[in-house]
Amino acid sequence: MENKKMCMALFSGSLDKLTAAGVILSGAVADDMDVEIYVLMQGARAFKRDIATNKDQLMMAENSHLREEFIAACKQLNVKEWYQFFIDAKAMANVKVHICGLAGKLWGGVKIDDFVEWADDIVGINEYITSAQNADVHLFI
Amino acid sequence: MTNDELRSVAVTKTVDARGTACPGPLLEAKKAMGTIKSGEILEVLSADEGSKRDIPLWAKKKEIDYLGTIDEAGYFRIFIRK
Repeated sequence: MENKKMCMALFSGSLDKLTAAGVILSGAVADDMDVEIYVLMQGARAFKRDIATNKDQLMMAENSHLREEFIAACKQLNVKEWYQFFIDAKAMANVKVHICGLAGKLWGGVKIDDFVEWADDIVGINEYITSAQNADVHLFI
Repeated sequence: MTNDELRSVAVTKTVDARGTACPGPLLEAKKAMGTIKSGEILEVLSADEGSKRDIPLWAKKKEIDYLGTIDEAGYFRIFIRK
């Protein structure tokens, strides 16, 4: 039987939403879903090689005053760093990470090597639409 | 299964996921399932309240038998059979 498909548009580049995306991704992987992630706008900034692991560069989506509390609680609960969810998910299932070409350029990323090594490619928007059309689950984060 | 029955089942493998928050216990269960044979029993230790519902729900979708959960002091013992 063919695996179910999830399409995720990852617009946010904020620490809390990236973490949430990683948790949701893990749930999909546990279900053996094939996942296509399309990294848009500020998301592409977070996926840049010089930004991804630098927490100081990533803020909260809202309630910015809660950032330190969020980070401390995640540490206490052994929650993975946001990018580790993605790396682990890729090791367990068919997960592809696509960087939007326009979004990449907004932050000075023009080649795939400008982004995390586990990003797969740079794509145009019709690939995202096609993936969304074919997905069983479609999320915009 | 009753708690007494669960305490006496022959567990093939136990994974201790008490040090992780959601989705850690679920992912540990999935990984461990790949290492046991059909008919064998996996025990997952979790201190995450959500696991009590999440792992049985996942097991049902994967056609894995959920045998039950023992509520211990501060953690849960979740039993599933491949």
